[in-house]
Amino acid sequence: MSAIDPFSGFGLGLRRDHYQDFLSGDVPVDFAEIISENYMVDGGRPLATLDQVRAKLPVIMHGVSMSIGSANGLDNDYLARLKQLAERVEPLWISDHLCWTRTSAHNSHDLLPLPYTAEALEVVCGNIDHAQNVLGRAMLFENPSSYLIFLDDEMAEWEFLSEMTHRTGCYLLLDVNNIYVSAQNHGFSADEFLAGIPADRVRQIHLAGHTPGQQPDNILIDTHDRAVCDNVWALYAKACAMLGPVATMIERDDAIPPLPELLAELDHAREIAGSALSGSPATVTA
Amino acid sequence: MSTLAARQADFMAQLLEDDRPLPAGWTPRHAAGLNIYRNAYRARLVDALRDTYERTARWVGEDAFRAAAAHHVIKTPPNSWTLDHVAEGFVEVLEELFANDPEVAELAWLEWAMHRAFVAADIAPLDAAGFAAASAGFAEEDWAGLRLSFLPSLHLRVLAHDVGALRNALAADEFEAPGYLMPAPRPMIVWREDLRPTFMPVGDAEGHALGEMMRGVSYGEMVESLAGQIGDEDAVMQAGAMLGRWLGNGLIAGLN
Repeated sequence: MSAIDPFSGFGLGLRRDHYQDFLSGDVPVDFAEIISENYMVDGGRPLATLDQVRAKLPVIMHGVSMSIGSANGLDNDYLARLKQLAERVEPLWISDHLCWTRTSAHNSHDLLPLPYTAEALEVVCGNIDHAQNVLGRAMLFENPSSYLIFLDDEMAEWEFLSEMTHRTGCYLLLDVNNIYVSAQNHGFSADEFLAGIPADRVRQIHLAGHTPGQQPDNILIDTHDRAVCDNVWALYAKACAMLGPVATMIERDDAIPPLPELLAELDHAREIAGSALSGSPATVTA
Repeated sequence: MSTLAARQADFMAQLLEDDRPLPAGWTPRHAAGLNIYRNAYRARLVDALRDTYERTARWVGEDAFRAAAAHHVIKTPPNSWTLDHVAEGFVEVLEELFANDPEVAELAWLEWAMHRAFVAADIAPLDAAGFAAASAGFAEEDWAGLRLSFLPSLHLRVLAHDVGALRNALAADEFEAPGYLMPAPRPMIVWREDLRPTFMPVGDAEGHALGEMMRGVSYGEMVESLAGQIGDEDAVMQAGAMLGRWLGNGLIAGLN
């Protein structure tokens, strides 16, 4: 499988609320990321808009429905539609999540947690091999937020991710907010997570906001409906220092604010990344 | 079934069934985590339905819409990778749940048809000049056997209520209940002009003729059927006029 060259710009998700901004002017971003499934349609305005954005900017395809951890294998109709879109978009890369969404009977349309076991690793790696062969390219997979862990986990999430990249040649989309959320929810060290992943396989970082936990369980929820919090900015600074220049994106999917607000957050990411890479002290508050 | 497959089948069942016993060894903390996934699953599906049926939700009110959406999701859990499929069959559910308010399902049909038109395949419609070129030299039997293919965005239904007016009123927040029953049912067509879904009522005879040709009936059979309604002489002339309007509105994709 061919390598994915590093690309170290700063981007935003392409959301319907901002279509006009992207079409009518020059949005100061280095790439736009789409939710692949929103454009896996037969025609009409979504694809016409995407074509126009693609003419201006590199595009990353980020999926939510591959179900790479599904014990029932992958949906070949889904893969064919994804490949068709990739041939149209010629994206920088295609990504999805380390999770499962479907059984042979039902689709949850949610990113469900995998046990970190040797059996699950075998399934995931087999599915990644299949997906990469069909698509003819290496993919990126994102660490998910999770709200429960399984009693029979045999390895840490970062060990699972590391072995997955080693066996399949895939790359990582590191969601820094998800590391923070899962670390808080399950009581592991976010620093240990960062130190445990293969830095040379990370090609992109996601930053997002989450909903604080409620008593009595105090479980953080990855809602993508608010600004990135200070603790996640601090973790991002550590990730930048560890990884070097990596494509970074602010991911907002709900309560989407006017574009200037997201651009200001992206400027803050640029500032933190610049400070981390130059070795000067980073200001991590937004 | 592998251990992972069995575990995933059970986890999916946990999402779908509130009262399913938890797996052995699970703690209250696991239950709390599971509830987050369960709530997210339902909220996402209800949101997807509200996104597609936005005006219907406003017409029936949030509580009634949420109850109907939850009923649909429980009755028909999704099995496709695309959220679009979640919205399939919801019109029929609303017909059942709002049997005494039939405008609800009719409004929902209009929204569903417009949603499908929005993302239908990009096919350039045949214009009058293209049709003239394609049919040049047609003999009488060619006309009789002519079948048409229509844009994939085209949908047709006979409606008892003026849900087009209702839909527009809902957009402007100027709707009045009930007030949208028409003196007689009327066919409505939905299709996409360039990138914009649109709808238009048509006459009874035209709706019937268009419906027949969308189902693959030949032009000759359609004219014969029309003659049964309005007489032989008018039928030929009316059929020609309808064909002209279909071409003018960009409904026809090609000749078969």
